[in-house]
Amino acid sequence: MFDRHKPLWGKPPALKQSYDAVIIGGGLHGLATAYFLARHQGMQNIAVIEKKYIGFGGAGRNTAIVRANQRTQQNVPLYKEALDLWPVLTKELDYNLMFFNCGNLNLLHSEAAMSAARMNIASAQFQGVESHLIDAKTCKEMMPALNIAEDITYPIFGAMFHPPGGIVRHDAVVWGLAKGAAKYGCHIHQHTEVTGINVENGKIVSVDTDQGKINTPRVLLTAGGYSAALSYHMLGIKLPISVLNIQAMVTQPLKPLLNHVISSGAYHAYANQTLKGEIATGAHMDAWPNYTTQTTAYYIRHQAQAITEMLPCLKGVKFMRHWSGLADMTPDMAPIMDGNHPIEGYYMNCGWGYFGFKSCTATGKYMAQFMATDECPEILKPFHLGRYAEHRLMGETAALVTYSPDN
Amino acid sequence: MALTLTCPVCGKRNGYEFRYGGEDKGPKPDDFGSSPETWCDYVHMNRCVAGIQKEWWCHRDGCGVWFTTHRDTLKNLEME
Ligand SMILES: Cc1cc2nc3c(=O)[nH]c(=O)nc-3n(C[C@H](O)[C@H](O)[C@H](O)COP(=O)(O)OP(=O)(O)OC[C@H]3O[C@@H](n4cnc5c(N)ncnc54)[C@H](O)[C@@H]3O)c2cc1C
Ligand SMILES: [Zn+2]
Repeated sequence: MFDRHKPLWGKPPALKQSYDAVIIGGGLHGLATAYFLARHQGMQNIAVIEKKYIGFGGAGRNTAIVRANQRTQQNVPLYKEALDLWPVLTKELDYNLMFFNCGNLNLLHSEAAMSAARMNIASAQFQGVESHLIDAKTCKEMMPALNIAEDITYPIFGAMFHPPGGIVRHDAVVWGLAKGAAKYGCHIHQHTEVTGINVENGKIVSVDTDQGKINTPRVLLTAGGYSAALSYHMLGIKLPISVLNIQAMVTQPLKPLLNHVISSGAYHAYANQTLKGEIATGAHMDAWPNYTTQTTAYYIRHQAQAITEMLPCLKGVKFMRHWSGLADMTPDMAPIMDGNHPIEGYYMNCGWGYFGFKSCTATGKYMAQFMATDECPEILKPFHLGRYAEHRLMGETAALVTYSPDN
Repeated sequence: MALTLTCPVCGKRNGYEFRYGGEDKGPKPDDFGSSPETWCDYVHMNRCVAGIQKEWWCHRDGCGVWFTTHRDTLKNLEME
């Protein structure tokens, strides 16, 4: 029954021979940029080229957590704007994105973590992002299911509480943005793979796909975990990215018990309760690059141990599904957004690791502005690729919630 | 699927005993006179090959030796 229905975003259009811009990848950042280009920048002769189906990548696999409490002054404003945009887009797209601003509790398991949190909270507050330090007793009052006993592996000292964050329905974001972009003229071509990018005299001229060539003066690479391989393979441009697999799983549905998103760097685990009642949990990744998106029993055990220490009432609850997706990790845990360098008309937006859901609304807005005006918006400037050669890496690795390949 | 790697000292072992050490990028640039771009390329940049690549590993939870091997990143399998 599925293939007979026309998609929500309209009948598939015929592939044109030329577009004003071609976006590689129908994921979160590709669709968000397409939407803002078509709706807000008046660039409507554009195409999103997706090799499988929209949402195939991280867009359909993430655990849907949104928050703005990043670590550095370059990152916080971007994530803040992204967070503020969920209700705005829900209205604008006339599509329920199911934003549930239940707040995030980042658990702290030592005095050192408490002091680090004070810094993180001060940075957030300075940027106008609500964030508080709370003690273990308050955590327990806020979330009765939480285990604050002192005899667990990592006893809870307190938490960084970030009330405006929460969860958003990730599939709704994909469909809503696709519908919105298509309404303003954007063509979405699924089952079409970009196989080459052609450059003449330092300028983008066309892309090759398995359905034919498309002439275009502008290309945006937003292929998520595949971006770095494509960049090197098609243009010889290496990126500071390692592609790891991040795994997540959900339990059987339960009555409401997790009224906030919780995360713990020490336990290497985060969890939230979906609006269907499942406990969605994840965090860990195999610390070596691979493109398999395979899952490992190793993490089912890890996740079960970690989650039941923090939430003992979940003992005996069954996991129903377990999946994996690609995370394009950079050494400074911050993305790469750049354009017209080293090729005119070539834009990239990648390296989001596991932060690419919460950020996609704001980056879509600003990457669209960048592509429509050829002027890099101030807010995106710090994220240029050249920062690595300048040894100006961002300090995001100092954030509290990092699960990098090294820890 | 779990990864198995062949340590030159201990033989075939569970992949979780090892630490990945990055893509093999050839010899280290000269300590003196190499440009920031050269260092950046050596330290940070990756080819992210979707297929077989030569890479470094350390038998962290074993004998501690560093070695290179070839692995298919699409299958997560070490080449024989
Ligand atoms: C298990 C898991 C949990 C996560 N949890 C969170 C979370 O809680 N919060 C958060 O903020 N982020 C989370 N993330 C990260 C987030 O999902 C990603 O950062 C985000 O999806 C990246 O968006 P993107 O648009 O760059 O890429 P994607 O959404 O991955 O889309 C890229 C698209 O490009 C397509 N493509 C690839 N190659 C080609 C080609 N040659 N031609 C055409 N199309 C191509 C792919 O098929 C894919 O659809 C999680 C990720 C995973 C895997
Ligand atoms: Zn060994």
